[in-house]
Amino acid sequence: MELITPQHFLILASLLFAIGFLGVLIRRNVLLMLMSLELMLNGVNIALVAFSRSGTNLDGSIFVFFIMTVAAAEVAVGLALLVALFKKRDSVFSEDMRLLRN
Amino acid sequence: MINLSLTLLFLPLLSAAVTLFFLRNNGRVASLLSVFTAGGILALSLILIYNTEDVPLAWDMTWFKMGGWELKFGFLLDAPARLLLFVVAFVGFLIHVFSLGYMADDSARSRYFGGLSIFMFSMLGITLADNLIMIFVFWELVGFSSYLLIAHYFTTDEAAQASKKAFIVNRVGDFGFLIGIVLTYWIFGTVNLSELADLADFDPKLTSTLLCLALACGFIGKSAQFPLHVWLPDAMAGPTPVSALIHAATMVAAGVYLLLRIDFLFTEQALTFIAFLGAVMGLYAGFCALVQRDIKKILAYSTLSQLGYMAAAFGLGMPGIALFHLMTHAFFKALMFLGSGSVIHACHHEQDIFNYGGLRKKMPVTALTFLIGVLAISGVNFLSGYFSKDAILLGAYNFNMPVFILLYLGALLTSIYMFRLYFITFEGSPRSHHAEEAHENNRLMTGPLVILAVLSVLGGYHTLYPGSLLQYCLPDIDMVALLPHHMWMIVLGTSAWIFGLIFARSFYGKVEQTDPLSDRLPVFYQLCRSKLFFDEIYQFYVSKIQDPLARFIEVMELLFVSGLMVRGSAGISALFALLAKSCYVGKIHSYSFWFIVGTLGFLAYAVGLLAL
Repeated sequence: MELITPQHFLILASLLFAIGFLGVLIRRNVLLMLMSLELMLNGVNIALVAFSRSGTNLDGSIFVFFIMTVAAAEVAVGLALLVALFKKRDSVFSEDMRLLRN
Repeated sequence: MINLSLTLLFLPLLSAAVTLFFLRNNGRVASLLSVFTAGGILALSLILIYNTEDVPLAWDMTWFKMGGWELKFGFLLDAPARLLLFVVAFVGFLIHVFSLGYMADDSARSRYFGGLSIFMFSMLGITLADNLIMIFVFWELVGFSSYLLIAHYFTTDEAAQASKKAFIVNRVGDFGFLIGIVLTYWIFGTVNLSELADLADFDPKLTSTLLCLALACGFIGKSAQFPLHVWLPDAMAGPTPVSALIHAATMVAAGVYLLLRIDFLFTEQALTFIAFLGAVMGLYAGFCALVQRDIKKILAYSTLSQLGYMAAAFGLGMPGIALFHLMTHAFFKALMFLGSGSVIHACHHEQDIFNYGGLRKKMPVTALTFLIGVLAISGVNFLSGYFSKDAILLGAYNFNMPVFILLYLGALLTSIYMFRLYFITFEGSPRSHHAEEAHENNRLMTGPLVILAVLSVLGGYHTLYPGSLLQYCLPDIDMVALLPHHMWMIVLGTSAWIFGLIFARSFYGKVEQTDPLSDRLPVFYQLCRSKLFFDEIYQFYVSKIQDPLARFIEVMELLFVSGLMVRGSAGISALFALLAKSCYVGKIHSYSFWFIVGTLGFLAYAVGLLAL
């Protein structure tokens, strides 16, 4: 009997996703929001790997590599933007960034 | 030849365009340009007429295409077109020259002469056009230029109203004409005049009285026949040379010309209808003219009556005579209108004939030429009107007795009111300050009068015309010459004008400021003054029936179209916009929350939890 089933992986994945999402929702600091987004991505990655493991092909695992690559690139761009933003506005809090609707 | 006719047609348009763009503030140059254009038209027309004697000019090209249907732009310069071209170019040129004198001190000369050029362009278009749609296009253009020129003195309420009235009443007729054109295309599959003639000849059953009457609506509107005659007397609010050119010699005659162009379509009933229509108009307009005080209105009603004669001639199966009368009428009526213009100009725009009097001594040339016009229209023997009008009367006598009686009474009235006009205006003693001070106008104005007077005298002798100008009229003239009762007709015709002369002399020989008829026969006078209440009936119709209907439709439109449909749909989308707007709060947290909710919604839908 197998103790760890795909359901366990999925529960872990959705938990990670939910925690990340909660972080996005309640954090004021954009830097932390970005990190929470990474957490959400990792949740998705775990789900993909779990499916790949229980299934018969490796498509999911390959997909995960792509996601990690894209995430790394995205973080690089996101952090750069954030630094630029901080230089310009002296703040990293999301409530200070509402120029479109004051 | 084709290039020549194209030049002829577009020359006045070019002149109008140049006037519009460069000469708006330079009336002197604009007027000279327009007169030279008219002279050019005359020269080109004469060359064209001379060169198309043996072979009629027929040419066309594609104007535009819509699917398989194409509209041709073409010329058909055959016998009737040649004669009308001559009349338009010749009378038009004389009236342009006269205008130089008449409008000399007008402040808006450029507009006036530009309008005349547009009119010449449109009228030449009607003359030359080889298909019904082209005729219709130019038909509307003459209507437009007529509107433009009637409203020349647009600061007066009368002219502004009259121009609108002329335009709208013409629209009514043109609507019928348009239906007629569509019907023609439906039945025959073509609107080309030559092809139509062949088809109608091949199968006479194709045409119908209904089709004829629809097409004749155009004639009724443009030639101001019953029941759309109301616009012409009012149109006299325009400058007098315009009345001479448009509302006497050419444009109103275009209605008759249209009938000639499509005469092969006409059925027996339709012809009889036109004959009676014309004859009744001849008599009715005579009664109206008898009691008018405005010199131009008398001439306007007289024009209506003469157009009735042309229509009657056409209806009696003598289109050649109708065209012949059109030409002689153009000469003597243009002469009389220009004569009245000369009088009006000399008397400082006084138009009431009871304020004239004794003008013969002050203005000898105008008086003499006007008298020639009066004699010609009354049918005095051996003048132009005698030949054309008595030909119509003789034809009517032989073909249709009731029409003859109507026309003969009309002829009696014509001589009475014409001599009335002459005696009151030119004889007796001056009855106003303006009339006392009047003096003869310069040569620019008397010159055209003299030329037209010569033509009014000689215009009836068809053998005098060069070449085959009268080719279209000759068969009918020869036919009428062979009809019986010729001597009897001469006696009747002569007695008509002599009676009119004596009656007018004794009745109107000595007048004061009031019309003698209003004292002697007040009821009859009032009846004639009322013009049988046509204006009042139309006024009643418009204000009591049409306006409420229009208001009702307006309310319906406000309620359903612009209210329910336009505003309603706008309101519904605005409601959605309001909903969507409330989500736009400017907080990134809120956006990410709604994003996830949306994603979950899609997920729920995909797995079947949410059934939409």
